[in-house]
Amino acid sequence: MREPLLVLDNIRKNYGAIEALKGVSFSIGKGEVVALLGDNGAGKSTLVKIISGGLEPTSGRMIFEGQDYVARSPAEAKAAHIETVYQDLSLCTNVDVVANFFMGRELTRRVMGIPFLDERAMEAVVAKALANAGTRIPSLRTKVEHLSGGQRQAIELNRFVHWGGKLVLLDEPFAALGVEQTRRGLDMIRQVADQGIGVIIITHIMQQAFQVADRIVVIRQGVVAGDVERSKTSPDAVIEMITGQNLAGAGAAGGMGAVESPA
Amino acid sequence: MTPRMRKLLEFTLDNLVWFMLVFVLAVFSALIPNYFQLGIFANIIEASSVLGVMSIGLALVIIAGHMDLSVESVAALSAMAVGILFCSAGIGLGIKLTPAWLAVPVSLALALAVGGLIGLFNGWLIVKVKMNAFIITLASYIWVRGIVLAVSGGRSAQDLAPAIRWFAIQRFIGLPLTAWIAILCFVLFSVIMAKTPFGRHLVMIGGNETATYRAGIRVTRYLILAFVLAGAIAGLSGWLLAIRTSGATANLGIGLLFNAFAAVVIGGVSLKGGVGALPGVYAGVLLLSAINTAINLMGLPAVYTQVIHGFLVLAAVLLDTFKTRLRQKLA
Ligand SMILES: Nc1ncnc2c1ncn2[C@@H]1O[C@H](COP(=O)(O)OP(=O)(O)OP(=O)(O)O)[C@@H](O)[C@H]1O
Ligand SMILES: [Mg+2]
Repeated sequence: MREPLLVLDNIRKNYGAIEALKGVSFSIGKGEVVALLGDNGAGKSTLVKIISGGLEPTSGRMIFEGQDYVARSPAEAKAAHIETVYQDLSLCTNVDVVANFFMGRELTRRVMGIPFLDERAMEAVVAKALANAGTRIPSLRTKVEHLSGGQRQAIELNRFVHWGGKLVLLDEPFAALGVEQTRRGLDMIRQVADQGIGVIIITHIMQQAFQVADRIVVIRQGVVAGDVERSKTSPDAVIEMITGQNLAGAGAAGGMGAVESPA
Repeated sequence: MTPRMRKLLEFTLDNLVWFMLVFVLAVFSALIPNYFQLGIFANIIEASSVLGVMSIGLALVIIAGHMDLSVESVAALSAMAVGILFCSAGIGLGIKLTPAWLAVPVSLALALAVGGLIGLFNGWLIVKVKMNAFIITLASYIWVRGIVLAVSGGRSAQDLAPAIRWFAIQRFIGLPLTAWIAILCFVLFSVIMAKTPFGRHLVMIGGNETATYRAGIRVTRYLILAFVLAGAIAGLSGWLLAIRTSGATANLGIGLLFNAFAAVVIGGVSLKGGVGALPGVYAGVLLLSAINTAINLMGLPAVYTQVIHGFLVLAAVLLDTFKTRLRQKLA
């Protein structure tokens, strides 16, 4: 396997009495794309939030680049170069495209020691990033509230591609995108991974997972129900892992990867 | 709708308050004898300095998505603190500093500190302990005014030290320095809000706090700072108030909160947070001041002022709702 980037070791998370994660372990290597699959409520978003600093695990350990890792806030995860695109979008619709693209990382020019926003430089960067990705937005100075759902998602996608980092978490990033934009998005993910960045992508669409992922990890009821190389499995086998039912003729899915059992 | 028309409509919505100000001034000038003179306009600006400064702090907090009802009482307490120390009559202790001008920075620092500390207290309870901003600052509105009453014993301080009074007397291009201080504050904070990362972050926090937190912006720190600023700015307005009245009374500044509130909302700041800019707020302040001056000139009994102000607040909130709806339709 490739050099491991992030290792999750027996991660548990309880929301009060609800056990959302009951001991999840898997790892992702540099430049690897892992598709995280699972039914609604399986615990995928919870896992992503634990890695990205939105939630603290109830127990368990994470090792990032060989060192113990825990993010107590999104700022800490960002400092470790972990970027996240959340399921519910994280844009401020009351400001324009440029402001959203640079949220929290504005370019500034100092005048007498005081940082002033360098709007022109920021706009140029955004224009270039969007053009590279083939995203068309009428004006970079329009407030995001005037943009369509797909355009908003495109901004978020372009944002993470631009900022890069070491690990990228994408929670259903294509839910609002059209066919063409989705294809571009999948291409972007491949490009990002080819730079040596690890990508974890959550999706409900099997076809997307098989198109882009190197490995497929299935979560069912808070545990890893399957962890297989894409080339060694089939959509039917994965569906079986997701639902936990034996589909006729699909064969034993469990044998294809390390199956974790709840401790 | 064509994009051009949409742009035009949006521009109108964003700058509505300036159009209203010009309209009101024009109507008053046409209808009220003696309204159209330079002196009156200077008077309008002069009369609005205390309210103007206070509105800046309130606007900051509302733009960041919160609320501060305590600014009026904070201003009163700062004014009272300055009054007690630097007034020579009434309950004033008449402290003399040498050289005499030292009273200016000392009294100013005192006013800012009193306001900033109360702001810190509010901010800490609201942001850290996560209590409701409305309730916490309503409580502060009451207990801070209570302290004003307690320390003054219901009496007043008069005859502020001349070195401080100088700011109300000294004029520059027809306006007293107190008015210039207000204008300077508006320019300063307008630039901060529109041109610096700090202002940009406050606006974004008001728009979507979760998103800014996820983006790694230190939301807690920013919000507490917003409350501290609102408090300190209220303290400054209290300092101006003490200068203008040359002292402080126990009920100083009562009613200012609702005027500030009206000015902020009329000025285009949305109560939902994340929307609005300070130049508009200044226009809102001038609009209120223009109306007050008209009421005075027409010789209406002062009791009506309150009724009119009440309706103005109501109109402002209606306008806010109306604009939000219209914007949604545009989107
Ligand atoms: N804040 C919360 N409080 C209580 N329970 C929660 C909370 N968030 C999630 N859960 C529960 O934890 C479990 C996992 O939720 P999670 O959002 O991680 O699922 P998911 O796999 O992302 O589902 P989906 O595909 O629908 O996005 C669910 O049973 C959910 O009800
Ligand atoms: Mg989810």
